[in-house]
Amino acid sequence: MTNLYHNRSAQWIVYALMFAFLAAIPLITNDSFLLNQFATYGVYGMLAVSISLSWGFGGILNLGQGIAFGLGAYGMGMTMQMQSQDPVSNPIPPFMLNNSLDHLPALWSPFQNTALGFILSLAVPTIFYVFFGSLMFRARVSGPFIAIMTLAMLTALYTLILDMQPYTNGANGIAPPAPLKLLGAEIDPYSVASYWIVYGALLFVTVASKLITQSKFGLVTQALRSDPERVRFLGYNVASYETIVYALSGLIAALAGCCLVMLVQYVSPAQLDVNFSIGMVIWAGIGGRFSLIGSMLGAFLIQGGQSYLGDQFLATWLLLLGGFFILVVRFLPKGLAGLLELSLGMIGAHMQPKDASRPQRGAEATSKAEA
Amino acid sequence: MPPSRLLKHKGRPRHAPDAQWRRGIGDVALGNSLSADIAPIANALILGLSIASIWLIAALGLAIIYGAIGVINMAHGEFIMLGAYTSYALQSFFGLPFLLCIPAAFIVVAFIGLLLERGLIRYLYKRPLDTLLATWGVSLVLTQLVRLTFGSDPKYIAVPEMFQSNVQLGFVNLSVLRIFVFALTIVLVAATAFLFYRTRFGMQVRAVMQNKEMAASFGINADRVYMLTFALGAGLAGVAGSLLGVLAIVLPTMGTAYVVQAFLVVVVGGGTILGSVVASGLTGEFQSVLAYVTNETFARFLLYLLIVVLLRFRPAGLFAPAKARR
Amino acid sequence: MGVLNIHNLCKSFGGTSVINDFSLEVTELTLCCLVGPNGAGKTTTMDLITGRQKPTSGQILLRSDEITSLGEHEIARLGIGRKFQVPAVFRDLSVRQNLEVAYSREVSPFKNLFSYRPSGLNQKLEEILTITGLGGRVETEAGTLSHGETQWLEIGMVLMQNPEILLLDEPVAGMTEGEIEKTVGILNELKRTHTLIVVEHDMAFVREIADVVTVMHMGALLAQGSISEMEANPKVREVYLGDPED
Repeated sequence: MTNLYHNRSAQWIVYALMFAFLAAIPLITNDSFLLNQFATYGVYGMLAVSISLSWGFGGILNLGQGIAFGLGAYGMGMTMQMQSQDPVSNPIPPFMLNNSLDHLPALWSPFQNTALGFILSLAVPTIFYVFFGSLMFRARVSGPFIAIMTLAMLTALYTLILDMQPYTNGANGIAPPAPLKLLGAEIDPYSVASYWIVYGALLFVTVASKLITQSKFGLVTQALRSDPERVRFLGYNVASYETIVYALSGLIAALAGCCLVMLVQYVSPAQLDVNFSIGMVIWAGIGGRFSLIGSMLGAFLIQGGQSYLGDQFLATWLLLLGGFFILVVRFLPKGLAGLLELSLGMIGAHMQPKDASRPQRGAEATSKAEA
Repeated sequence: MPPSRLLKHKGRPRHAPDAQWRRGIGDVALGNSLSADIAPIANALILGLSIASIWLIAALGLAIIYGAIGVINMAHGEFIMLGAYTSYALQSFFGLPFLLCIPAAFIVVAFIGLLLERGLIRYLYKRPLDTLLATWGVSLVLTQLVRLTFGSDPKYIAVPEMFQSNVQLGFVNLSVLRIFVFALTIVLVAATAFLFYRTRFGMQVRAVMQNKEMAASFGINADRVYMLTFALGAGLAGVAGSLLGVLAIVLPTMGTAYVVQAFLVVVVGGGTILGSVVASGLTGEFQSVLAYVTNETFARFLLYLLIVVLLRFRPAGLFAPAKARR
Repeated sequence: MGVLNIHNLCKSFGGTSVINDFSLEVTELTLCCLVGPNGAGKTTTMDLITGRQKPTSGQILLRSDEITSLGEHEIARLGIGRKFQVPAVFRDLSVRQNLEVAYSREVSPFKNLFSYRPSGLNQKLEEILTITGLGGRVETEAGTLSHGETQWLEIGMVLMQNPEILLLDEPVAGMTEGEIEKTVGILNELKRTHTLIVVEHDMAFVREIADVVTVMHMGALLAQGSISEMEANPKVREVYLGDPED
């Protein structure tokens, strides 16, 4: 059976078109508010890709992606906050003074160095995922339990951040007074520059994820999604594959968290809200979790719909979204991308009825697919 | 545009999970005639039992549904919420006494559960992860429906006069309401255990749990067993809702706070009724003692962490039934 | 000394003993059939050899190396491949992808992140497709294969691992006469280059392929020898062959 949907070259062309379109946005508009909003969608796109990677390709239903997203966002928020503090005359952020801290906590001091701050923002969540992941996957915790455990972990972290008021400013969050400074230049969140930064991050994340899914590693994770035991008996250490795919998806989410804070100059426990993390799963579920680009488009569609329609009718919007999600789970487990796969398959079968029935020799078919 | 506007959808009004407990726990006061050493610890332990009964009542319906059908029902929290709203509506619009609201909540939510099982869940029995997702969609829909109907502002269920007094119990002063909740929890657990282990229906449920095909060949209607079990679990959530609603405030989003806790109890307990009793006892006491040592929020964090570590070593919970062979 | 040596293996679940002081020596490049009535402990033995379960006591040696305490993936890497009783293939992947996953010469996740066309894959793929006769089905989704094809695919996957020893749990269960015939051909071809242990109920099939037949009963070794010796053995007749059909 030839289905254009599975043709790798065709897939790359679709990705190229998509990114060409996204690159054209700053050329079409110079409305800085709109650019900032589109850049925020880029952040959602990264989150959707991260969910697709772990859930679609790795079979790990992660309901707690807010952990990495939130930790990354807090790291970035702390870095930006410390950029506005003077290490000698005024080292302590105002909210800490209000919480009667008289010195900078050790937790915060590495963030005085911007480069170190960036590294920590990405490394801390990733390392956390490696530990938490290997804990779960080595115990061979089953799929639904992983969902519950990630959810519980997210809730735990959410409560912790709320509770550590003097260090995190609790529910108020951290609002750095000035935009991010990079190599001496200030990155205005409403500028074209910040759009391009997020664009670059999204492009990098998407291409890297696509390459991963096409690699031998990606093939093994797709296999263990349906039968981890079989994969184990083929000689692979399943837990380490799962841990790595989980940690990679965490790294992407952490990067997304950094980008978001750069764009909105604000971080709060809302980034770790349970509903937001499950929202990411809904984007991927509706868009099609087995497709990176499908998940990304799902995020754009849903978040776009939410901000344009939902501002007035948030309750109705969420009602419709919930209903639509139920329908997708019930009737379209592969999401909207699955619908495309199905129709392309039908068109392919219709256009070349002979091709489908022609027996193919192994090597011939191999070289064809690799071409 | 101010940053907060961009994040509006994420920062939807959602009360801190702790608000749930305040009214229930705040009314446990220390007796002052005691030696200062034991009193706080005894207080913490009794408080722990109190918390345990809340965890247990919230988790009981979930444990039945998960244990017997293997369905991870993410809408369980919303069933609790519906129970609370049912009681609220019956009490404030029809003047129904609170004690009658409890069985009414059972019937109403059980019926909603029945509809849900027939309309959606039964098509997903072979796809556990999909049931989890679909029921999450259901929870979203239920929350929004209630929000559209009743609004987002908190509602209160009036505490009946007979429950308003306090009783001196050894070291601590406990409200009658708390004792009532505790007693009703015991009664419900006992009744559920009786139903599942001593009646014909319970035997059918256990037969279907062990081997659906085999049970079917003995003339047990597995479909009907699933349907009734699901409705029963939903009904118990409804009862939990009316009790939790009177202990705390009633909000469309209140379910989210309970569902994670209820799941932890079920997961730690391994999905059996006895397991859930032990698990809720342990978690309640841990929460209470840890809260005494640190504070309530940090205690919750530690507790969740402990549970995650426990699952590392007992991935199927404390009392897991034997696993089927491949 | 054989290529696989099992010494005094015991396994009990709770209080019930399933494998009871079982010893076995498998000679290189032979096909050993493990037979016995239901509940004799055949599949459990397979589980113990491949590390799916840990024995209560006893030793399993691959040549002279103890493998008793190793994990499933480590045992697989040492060259023991296994086909399950219920065919286990990746149903949502194509036949080619199934075989490609099974080509586990490189198992490191970090190296595989950057690996797109493992060396020697195409050659091995061609070889296995020829052996299993699945050449015309490479792009087919494994979930849509017929029962016999699924069994062959799983045998093919095990072969892609390049194992020294193959453990096959009921490879012809549910196959048609023609399919069984083809499988006999495949196995007789394989035993020239591999050591095989086959669990099977179908005595006609065992007669076609077995070099050595090992009869298990109640978790212990009852008798061992050629198929004709076993059929003549009164103890075996009593517990298993009981009814001397064909």
